[in-house]
Amino acid sequence: MNCLERMPLQQKRLLAAITLLISSLLVLPAKAQEPPTLFEEPLSPRIANYNIDVQLNTDTKVLTAQELLVWHNQTQSVVYELQFHLYMNGFRNTESTFMQGTGNPRRSQRIKDKGWGFIEIDRLVVGYPSDIQNLPQTLFPDSALNAMQPAADLTAGMTFIQPDDGNKEDKSILRVPLPKPLRPGEKVMVYLDFRTKLPEPSFMRTGAKKEYFMVAQWFPKMGVHINGEWNTHQFHSRTNFFSDFGVYNVRMTVPEENLVGATGLQVSVSKNGDGTATHFYHAEDVLDFAWTTSPDFVEVTGKSQDVDIRMLMQPDHLDSQDRMLESTKLAVQYFQDWYGDYPYPNVTVVDQRRGAESTGGMEYPTLFTTSTSYGLPKGVRIPEMINTHEFGHSYWYHMLASNEFEEAWLDEGINTYTDMQIMPAAYGKEANTIDVAGIKIGQTTMARAQYLSLPDADPLIKSSWKFYSGRSYGINSYARPGLVLTTLQNYLGWDTMLKVIRTYVERWRFKHPRSRDFFDIINEVAGQNLDWFFEQAFYTNAILDYTVSDIFSRPVKKPKGYDYTLSTTQEDSVVTNDENTVEEAADTDTPSAEGEEKLYFSGVNIRRLGEFEFPVEVELIFDDGEIVRENWDGQALWTKFRYTKPVRLVSATVDPDYKIPLDANLTNNSRVVKKQTLGINKLAVRWMFWQQFVLDQPDFANLLFRIGEVLN
Amino acid sequence: MISSLKSGFAQMWTNKRMVFIFFATNFMFGLLLMLPGRAALSGFASQTLMGQKLAGRFSFDFLFDFIRENGTIIDVYAVLFMIVPAVYWLFGLFLSGGAFAMFKSGEKFSAGDFWWNCGKYFGRFARLLLLSLPVFGVLLLLQFVWVGLERLFWGSDPYQYITYWGAWVKFGLRTISILLFGLVLDYSRIYTVIADEKRMRISLWRGIRCAFTNLGQTFGLALTLFLAGVVVLAFYNPIADSLSAPNGFVIFTLFLAQQLYMFWRMMLRLTLYSSQMHLYQRITDGVTLSTAERSDDVGLEGTPA
Repeated sequence: MNCLERMPLQQKRLLAAITLLISSLLVLPAKAQEPPTLFEEPLSPRIANYNIDVQLNTDTKVLTAQELLVWHNQTQSVVYELQFHLYMNGFRNTESTFMQGTGNPRRSQRIKDKGWGFIEIDRLVVGYPSDIQNLPQTLFPDSALNAMQPAADLTAGMTFIQPDDGNKEDKSILRVPLPKPLRPGEKVMVYLDFRTKLPEPSFMRTGAKKEYFMVAQWFPKMGVHINGEWNTHQFHSRTNFFSDFGVYNVRMTVPEENLVGATGLQVSVSKNGDGTATHFYHAEDVLDFAWTTSPDFVEVTGKSQDVDIRMLMQPDHLDSQDRMLESTKLAVQYFQDWYGDYPYPNVTVVDQRRGAESTGGMEYPTLFTTSTSYGLPKGVRIPEMINTHEFGHSYWYHMLASNEFEEAWLDEGINTYTDMQIMPAAYGKEANTIDVAGIKIGQTTMARAQYLSLPDADPLIKSSWKFYSGRSYGINSYARPGLVLTTLQNYLGWDTMLKVIRTYVERWRFKHPRSRDFFDIINEVAGQNLDWFFEQAFYTNAILDYTVSDIFSRPVKKPKGYDYTLSTTQEDSVVTNDENTVEEAADTDTPSAEGEEKLYFSGVNIRRLGEFEFPVEVELIFDDGEIVRENWDGQALWTKFRYTKPVRLVSATVDPDYKIPLDANLTNNSRVVKKQTLGINKLAVRWMFWQQFVLDQPDFANLLFRIGEVLN
Repeated sequence: MISSLKSGFAQMWTNKRMVFIFFATNFMFGLLLMLPGRAALSGFASQTLMGQKLAGRFSFDFLFDFIRENGTIIDVYAVLFMIVPAVYWLFGLFLSGGAFAMFKSGEKFSAGDFWWNCGKYFGRFARLLLLSLPVFGVLLLLQFVWVGLERLFWGSDPYQYITYWGAWVKFGLRTISILLFGLVLDYSRIYTVIADEKRMRISLWRGIRCAFTNLGQTFGLALTLFLAGVVVLAFYNPIADSLSAPNGFVIFTLFLAQQLYMFWRMMLRLTLYSSQMHLYQRITDGVTLSTAERSDDVGLEGTPA
């Protein structure tokens, strides 16, 4: 017996009345223009499919919308309720979980008195039409209610839940019990009337700033039902998202003079005769829908390989248009060449408006927002970095739809890793991020700087809102995984790592991969079990730091005392505190007879200062130019290398090829027998000079202040 | 202005031992700020290959390692940066009394007279500095003239190219404010020395009047010497940066060049002081004020030449 059958008579009558009322209010469906079919064979499971009509009121910053959702239960479980994300309610008041976790301001924007955002559902109707499989794709909400019979108005049954923190003030997850259970394979239709008030000025990726609107996280969005339950988290200040794929048809009504950019492809634009125009966009196999509109946008177009690029630039940023377009082209090219096909025909790049900085640098399917500013020096490659990163999210999350709430590193971290490969390839190895006035900084250095600011507060894999702090979340989601994967790449080799990433893309695109899935692919492609690495790098806060703790080289002395038997021809030797290593050291003076070649006894001690165990190479240079390389598995706390040679030892270096950017201190990786002060003196001399200069001319600080403004 | 410059340079040259005193002061304070950093650098990197590599291009990886592992030295510098510049500027104020007095007398340098005058005027100059801080505050407000114009013409939400170039205009106005403040302080000190004035509010007023009623000459003089210092620096820096793999000799040469540049700056500073003294005396027609005249705290301070 289903829920409808269990309903009391009064409720059945009420339902019938509502149905009748709705039916009587229906207008004949307008003939919607058919969108193109992008993919003959669906790329994704198409679980959550949305058709939305939305009208923007530019004065009140309110969206009034009707949404028709068709949700397909592709799990093996019976589903008794639906859960929706109402992200915009994170900005509803100071008591929401988002604001409690964030504090105000965030992303350099402050919510002012009337600037709060919210989403309000005025009506929610669930229907189970018998011909649901055959409903037209472009059945829009205005004609949907008629088609979705039998239906039940569940508005009164909506409740908010707070599975993460129990904060009753938080309204970012909506729970709706279904009138009848939804069995595996079945579909349900949901009709919603809702209003969304956009924050102003924009806040955390979304909102309005005067004539500019970046509309994201704006509609009631289904959670993900996986492993027999809803995986729906509240909107936290540190979280991104988690969604199922689907098809979107969205009609946006905005002022006639406005340009619109949105997820997917534009199907049509029709003027309504009242000063507004409706823009119809269609997207397939995507997991979100965002859009933007402004009358001030300047359109710039280009193409990279098979991808059309459309940039919506701010008029005061046109001095950056060439570098913005070029960097997007390069990003498309590198990602397709290295990591796999970008299946969509287009990408839209939205330039944030001045005063709406919080909307810059965010990713949505086939659309991302970027950031630049007038007068930004070409050597400050922030726009290039952002464009590379945000386009990268087309892969990491928008195709490989990991759970960003629970494993943020799977998108941000892998994306940072791919940034760290693409930026040097595209813009030079050393100075790919900053190249101004002799200051040269690359991606890896930037990532190290971020990582070293708080390297051990948390393990890398953790639910986003559970990290020690925002900084720890940032480090463990971005910089640290970038460094971890680059270290792994240097260990496995570029080709192997490239194959790993390509395999990961091919196997998990349009699915929900977890960390373990990624690790399994690495093990499989590399042909070895690297769990020892994953365990340390991802599940602990262990720091990797090897150092040359001691070095010496001294002439071999004549032997003294009673009997001695050591041979001068003894080979180089190794001693460690690892019991498995049994070689003995020649740490004893060796005879050097008259007339014989002078010998030197040299050695280095290598220590592991952190808990992270990793194999390392050690390079020793002797004063005749001979270079000796030793390998150490790095598992013991220390090891020693000893040599008796006719030449002195000059220096020793752990990781001489800089293969381990995860190393927390690169300076202590080397040690020399004789003090080296040349570089120190050079720095000291320059440092002293600038001190003298600024003391004599303190107004120089004024210039530094201005330069700082320009670079920011 | 040209005659003041010539005269100023000649006077400075006659008293070049003062240049050494000013230079030595700057050198010692520079050394004071450099040594803790060098010691920390040496302790951190001299036993490593980085001690050599830093002679080439600077490594930002090294910088981040250094900052992370040397928290104490960062704290030390935070304190030093608060104290040393203040002490240096006070010391400069102290020396300026001697310098202005020497230039006023027109006689050759005498160590006894110089140090005696340094001590004689220091207390007055310190009071003058405190009194003149509000003037500095007012001059800094000059930049907000642009803020007002920007709002008037482009509203509260101008395009970024307005705010970008506007920020450069503000930078220029701030620079002018700082230079003007320097002028006021210089001419106030000159008046104090010439008139042996003890009431610093009067000196300040005289300084302001002199600086602004003869703005073309006073500002032109200061700007000329300011630019002379900056232009040499603009040539020096690219050369120093281009030496990416120096040896000990190159570093020593760099050091010498830098100190020569600082010496040159001290020459410019004393030339400025001397030229300003000459200009002031020319503007006031060489009149040395009597005690009676000094009591006239609002008397006109000459006319432009």
